[in-house]
Amino acid sequence: MEIEGKSAGNVGILSLNGRLDAYLSNGVESSINALIDKGSVRIVVNFDGVEYISSSGLRVMLASLKRLKKVQGNIKLACLKPYVKEVFDIAGFTQLFEFYEREEEAVNSFKGE
Amino acid sequence: MVSSILELLLVLVEKICVIVIIAYLITRTKYFREILDKKFTLKNRAILILIFGAVSIFGTYSGIEIFGAIANVRDLAPMIAGLIGGPVIGVGAGLIGGIHRYFLGGFTCVPCSLATMLAGLFGGIIYLLRKGKFIGVPGAVLFAALMESFHMTLTLLLAQPYSEAVRVVEDFSMPMILSNSLGMLIFAFIISNRIKERETAEERDKYFDELERKRYELKMAHDIQQSFLPDAIPLLKGFELAAQNLPAKEVGGDFYDFIPISEDKMGVTIADVSGKGVPAALFMALSRTIVRANATRSPDVVDVIQDANRLITADAKSGMFVTLFYAILDLREKTLTYVNAGHNPPVMFKGKTGELIMLRAKGIALGAMEDIELEERKIILKSGDMVVFYTDGVTEAEDVEERQFGKERLFKVIKENHNLSANDMIEKIKAAVLSFCGKQPQFDDITLMVLKAE
Repeated sequence: MEIEGKSAGNVGILSLNGRLDAYLSNGVESSINALIDKGSVRIVVNFDGVEYISSSGLRVMLASLKRLKKVQGNIKLACLKPYVKEVFDIAGFTQLFEFYEREEEAVNSFKGE
Repeated sequence: MVSSILELLLVLVEKICVIVIIAYLITRTKYFREILDKKFTLKNRAILILIFGAVSIFGTYSGIEIFGAIANVRDLAPMIAGLIGGPVIGVGAGLIGGIHRYFLGGFTCVPCSLATMLAGLFGGIIYLLRKGKFIGVPGAVLFAALMESFHMTLTLLLAQPYSEAVRVVEDFSMPMILSNSLGMLIFAFIISNRIKERETAEERDKYFDELERKRYELKMAHDIQQSFLPDAIPLLKGFELAAQNLPAKEVGGDFYDFIPISEDKMGVTIADVSGKGVPAALFMALSRTIVRANATRSPDVVDVIQDANRLITADAKSGMFVTLFYAILDLREKTLTYVNAGHNPPVMFKGKTGELIMLRAKGIALGAMEDIELEERKIILKSGDMVVFYTDGVTEAEDVEERQFGKERLFKVIKENHNLSANDMIEKIKAAVLSFCGKQPQFDDITLMVLKAE
């Protein structure tokens, strides 16, 4: 799993590349936690390079969302491949997360908040 | 001239070989290992003092003749004894070598024996300053060179007559410094290697411990999971029911359950906890118990799962969640009333038309949020209808090229084998998945449940 971090204004952006399975999800979890620990409460995760996500991957996203909601933050997801989006869909997580076609849209959506 | 240099080199190599062998043998002893591990006892201290003292005496007798002067490595053993064992062992070895030298006499006997004792003391002081850590090869060699320079200074200060002392120092200082430094280089190199070797062995032991713990954890997760699956499948009038769980090496949190609700109503559930290992297995045990306790007290599927969700969410730490399909099978009405909390939709095969229907309903996995909306749906089961419940371990099973088994393959197996009994259908799907995966190890739990209307 490659995880690339950058930021746009006060929004932290993580771009993921690889399979988000039980083994590799832990790395993503620590990256997101590191961002939150540094005070970043607005996070966009770019899924463009993710072909596969397992329930462990969903767990990491849910854990991050729960943690961020407690501090009035949010995590928004961008550029999901149809298969990955379907996994979120089946679990009903489309009710919890905001999804965007493009990374900039996700970043900009924080401006109104 | 050429032959004398060659001869000298040969003698030097010979003496160095003796030092190498002594160094090697000492570092292999149990006592040396105990000292490296800082396990000092009266016994290992005494033995090392005697060994290094003996080596010091050997140094006195094995002087190397260089350019007409005799260089000896008497100070070497006490220096090393101090560097690796601290002041007690250093001074102890130094006393043996020093006192022996004193009784050999000669006009340099006082500075020479004193230098040997001090060599052990200084080595021990370096040991204390380094808090017991070996100084390393370059540091040890520098120490040896400085120590021998100091030895020469002592000779100038203490040996009488002074003019003789000057002559001795002029002739001896270079050979003494060189031979002791070289001896130290060899000794320190062997000791460093021995220390590294010990560290590697320690790391390896730690790694094996870790592996053992991991294996134990896997077994525990497996035991927890299996103990919470039903022991037997209930016999239902007018229906065939079968279920199977194939745990992966690293256990996930799949489960299925049958919960008797009334004489003609049976709760049926299949679920998949996020993540793997002991946390998933424990969360599975918790979820299963909560669902079971709720199900027996109400015939309303939405109510049961909404309540269960509240309890599960309260305990869902670090994003844990469980996807769950819960249905009540009415044996008299021949209906299945269900809710789907984010689980892979079970597949219903209609015996009459041969079509496949996905048992979807609006919902969300349990543990994600406190208050959830669940849609209740109801289907009628006619003779020949079959419902296949499964977890994502089936569809996400992979072959060696990381291709997934997928829904389409599953649907095909169901359609082609709908005449089979519930049990045989499970075996068929299992065989299809396993043959698809080939040599690729099973990564996720595979759980299957089949309900067939007779």
